[in-house]
Amino acid sequence: MKPTSNQGAEAPIRMSLLPSPSSPLVAFRIQFRCGAINDPPGKEGLNALTAMTIAQGGTRELTYQEVTERLYPMAATIDAQADKELTTFIGNVHRDHLKAYYDLLTGILLQPRFDESDFKRSRDILLAAIETNLRGNDDEGLGKAALQWLMYDGHPYQKLDIGTVQGLKSITLDDMKAHYRRCAAQGNAVLGVAGGFPMGMVDSLRQDFAALPRGGTPEVKLEKPRALSGVEVMFVEKPAPATAISIGFPIGVTRADKDFYALMVANSYLGEHRTFNGRLMNKMRGERGLNYGDYSYIENFIQDGGSTFPVPNIARRQQYFGIWIRPVPHPNALFALRQAVRELKMLVDGGLSVQDFEATRKFLLNYSRLWTQGLSRRLGTKMDSEFYGTKFFIDRIQEELPRLKLEDVNAAVKRHLQAVNLAVAIVTENASAMKETLLSGKPTPITYQTPTTSEALLKEDREIESFPLPINRERVRVVKAQELFEK
Amino acid sequence: MTDPLKLVAALVLVILGTRFSAWGEETPRGGSKVFPYPVQVTVLENGLKVVAVPFDNPGLVAYWTVVRAGSRNEIEPGKSGFAHFFEHMMFRGTDAYPRERYNAILKELGADHNAFTTDDYTAYHVLAPASGLETIMTLESDRFMNLKYTVEDFKKEAGAVLGEYNKNASSPFQTLNEKIRDAAFTAHTYKHTTIGFLRDVKDMPNQYEYSLQFFDRYYRPENCALLVVGDVDPKRLVDLARKFYGGWKRGTYQVEIPAEPRQTEEKRVEVDWPNPTQPYLDMGYHGPAFSDTQVDLPALDLVSQLLFSEAAPLYQKLVVVEQEVDLLIGGAADHRDPYLFEIIARVKKPERVAYVEATITAALEDLKTKPIPADRLGKVKSHLKYSYAMGLDTAGSVARSLAHYIALTSDPEAVNRVYAIYDRITPEDVRNAARRYFARTGRTVVILSHKEGAPAGAQGGAGAMAAAAGVTAR
Repeated sequence: MKPTSNQGAEAPIRMSLLPSPSSPLVAFRIQFRCGAINDPPGKEGLNALTAMTIAQGGTRELTYQEVTERLYPMAATIDAQADKELTTFIGNVHRDHLKAYYDLLTGILLQPRFDESDFKRSRDILLAAIETNLRGNDDEGLGKAALQWLMYDGHPYQKLDIGTVQGLKSITLDDMKAHYRRCAAQGNAVLGVAGGFPMGMVDSLRQDFAALPRGGTPEVKLEKPRALSGVEVMFVEKPAPATAISIGFPIGVTRADKDFYALMVANSYLGEHRTFNGRLMNKMRGERGLNYGDYSYIENFIQDGGSTFPVPNIARRQQYFGIWIRPVPHPNALFALRQAVRELKMLVDGGLSVQDFEATRKFLLNYSRLWTQGLSRRLGTKMDSEFYGTKFFIDRIQEELPRLKLEDVNAAVKRHLQAVNLAVAIVTENASAMKETLLSGKPTPITYQTPTTSEALLKEDREIESFPLPINRERVRVVKAQELFEK
Repeated sequence: MTDPLKLVAALVLVILGTRFSAWGEETPRGGSKVFPYPVQVTVLENGLKVVAVPFDNPGLVAYWTVVRAGSRNEIEPGKSGFAHFFEHMMFRGTDAYPRERYNAILKELGADHNAFTTDDYTAYHVLAPASGLETIMTLESDRFMNLKYTVEDFKKEAGAVLGEYNKNASSPFQTLNEKIRDAAFTAHTYKHTTIGFLRDVKDMPNQYEYSLQFFDRYYRPENCALLVVGDVDPKRLVDLARKFYGGWKRGTYQVEIPAEPRQTEEKRVEVDWPNPTQPYLDMGYHGPAFSDTQVDLPALDLVSQLLFSEAAPLYQKLVVVEQEVDLLIGGAADHRDPYLFEIIARVKKPERVAYVEATITAALEDLKTKPIPADRLGKVKSHLKYSYAMGLDTAGSVARSLAHYIALTSDPEAVNRVYAIYDRITPEDVRNAARRYFARTGRTVVILSHKEGAPAGAQGGAGAMAAAAGVTAR
């Protein structure tokens, strides 16, 4: 199965409904299959800026101020989530206010006001998000963004979802209106609603969105991402209290593929997000107190708010494997990098034991059911499943995992994962010195806050500190944080 | 050429006229209490409170243990951040269930489990299949009564806490929070953040003995509550609680938190930030403690909405119309003891900081003299009520909300009392609260900005977000 594409001119508008008649809440996810990959060259950030200006803007009749004033007593919300391939307008309202809210939501989406003032405010926010927040004040976010920049060099996924500084500065109000006309089309749209809504509202929704132009935006062709050659490293230099590291490489599987579910078990064993189940977490934080956490992923992952669960509607046709090493004191940074790659290599070479396989599979069968708590999350997950052309994600997990054998998992690991050709982003201060240390190939021992006495640990430390990384010397560079994401 | 947008608009207008014939006006439902689910509270003989909230979430339970001790309880010098550190140690196991065994059993259940610490409390939470309730209670009661860890494990965990400090330290919010508390408070333990002063975090490996004392003082049944939301039978829960927690012995320790003397003159602090940034303006006014009987803090909650919500005239002026700031938040977070009404603005141009400060100050002054129109107050009350109702959509979110009120007052019913106070608040109440709390002499102002050539490493601190959301085990 492959991800579904944008619809042709004759197809009816797609709906994704999840009725829950007893719920007092109604959740909307109005999605367009248009994203940052649709930004024209030189106008990077256009999709995100358009989405933000719509969601934080007015309707033809009402200014942003007037919309806000009306939404406020309802405590209802309208937000935009602009990603690589999808842009989703997320709304939540109590059923008591559904009719009034529906007017505002459809007004905003179908008759966006595109005020100069809203445009300017949104652009300032996105520029500050790059120039101030990302470059200066969020080292972990910077590490993840730098990884995409390096790993997807030359690919439509390379740029930030919110674009570049120069791209954002070049965008005009007319550019946004043109982008809206291109993307807000019936063939791109998926109208998602969950909760206690009356069916009459669904008819209204279908009729109202029929006012959009038929057909859809031609799908952006995605070439295979470039092949990485050895360990490629981008040091991002800035004043930083500790070193943040992200590691990754593109993989050829998504939720549509059978192998995804085999990899899911292996990945959970290696580094399930924010749990103590993963090897990385236990070996790096648990045994050595290196940092706050160490996790791995087989698809693009963003944590949903304060939960530990994945945010929905960031689906992509191509995915990557990633390791996230949370900030490590500078002297231990290269030890941490070596340890993470060594753990990955051990997984690739040795696979899981039958006990680890059984325990992890059992865990995932129960744990994955927690991912769709709440109306809006459940709806978003359903829409993602439709994007991938597969059954409801959680049901697919329940179907695939019981069929798996240990050999399937270990074979899938060998097919898709490896520890040789890696992109590595390292956010740190004094990057040149760290680069020289890395290139020297010399051991990089751990410095404990309090020395350990465990002989087993000390023995493993010695193996880790000199674990050979196949560094590609031609592809190791230092960039200043202040220069990244400029254009 | 026809503008497609206009065409779209015209089509929509045609449909607008008829589309609500089949659906539309709903009668607002709901009872008089803001918390809509039944709550059963039982106090065991040893003082442990057991709270059951049946909630339509078939097959799942949110199992929370609330310890009414947070960074507020760190009264000894050099011990800031200890409640949070101790939260980490609670995952290091017991003789019966060492760390690996504890994790393996919860892994088998497919549980999501973690913990967080705030100024006033520490919460341990598990979300898992209801069929695992007895297993969870076996594990949780065991570690609350029989926690045991080695000195080496203790020291290693200190590394993870330093890592948590480091992960937050690149954000200015942490530093702002650290600085404003340190300046605004002279005696009360709210002087330090939940994660603690960096010097104390670095000294944690040397505090093993103190950690045993901390456990002995606060991890006692009379200081804790069990809260279970979801697919739970209240009677069975109480029976199981007696079985698993009945042997937990009461403690004797009574903490004395130093009272904060009245601030008599304005304090101002400037912070140099090593990375380029727009300046942050952080203003803190000493406010009241949380109360579900007195009007002061609820009235300030309304002030937070009247000035800093997206619909507020001040917000519209500074953020939407003049576009002087790109971030504006303000409010008095609930605390057991008097805390701050804190306002944070990120100002787009450094030279406009004084203007923004003056504008915010003037808006606070206006509250003292100009009565708030009744219809605006009505909208704020409606917003608060619906906002709360919309947040209760999962067993986990219901538990999180009640845990907050249990931590503050020991009584989950406090939430209904507070929202009842909101309903009764008059324009006069708002004016009185503004007069009482927004005095220039009682405020602390921190301005964080980047100066070219500022030394690297000037930042540090855990902070504003941590105070609001707590800091977590992983």
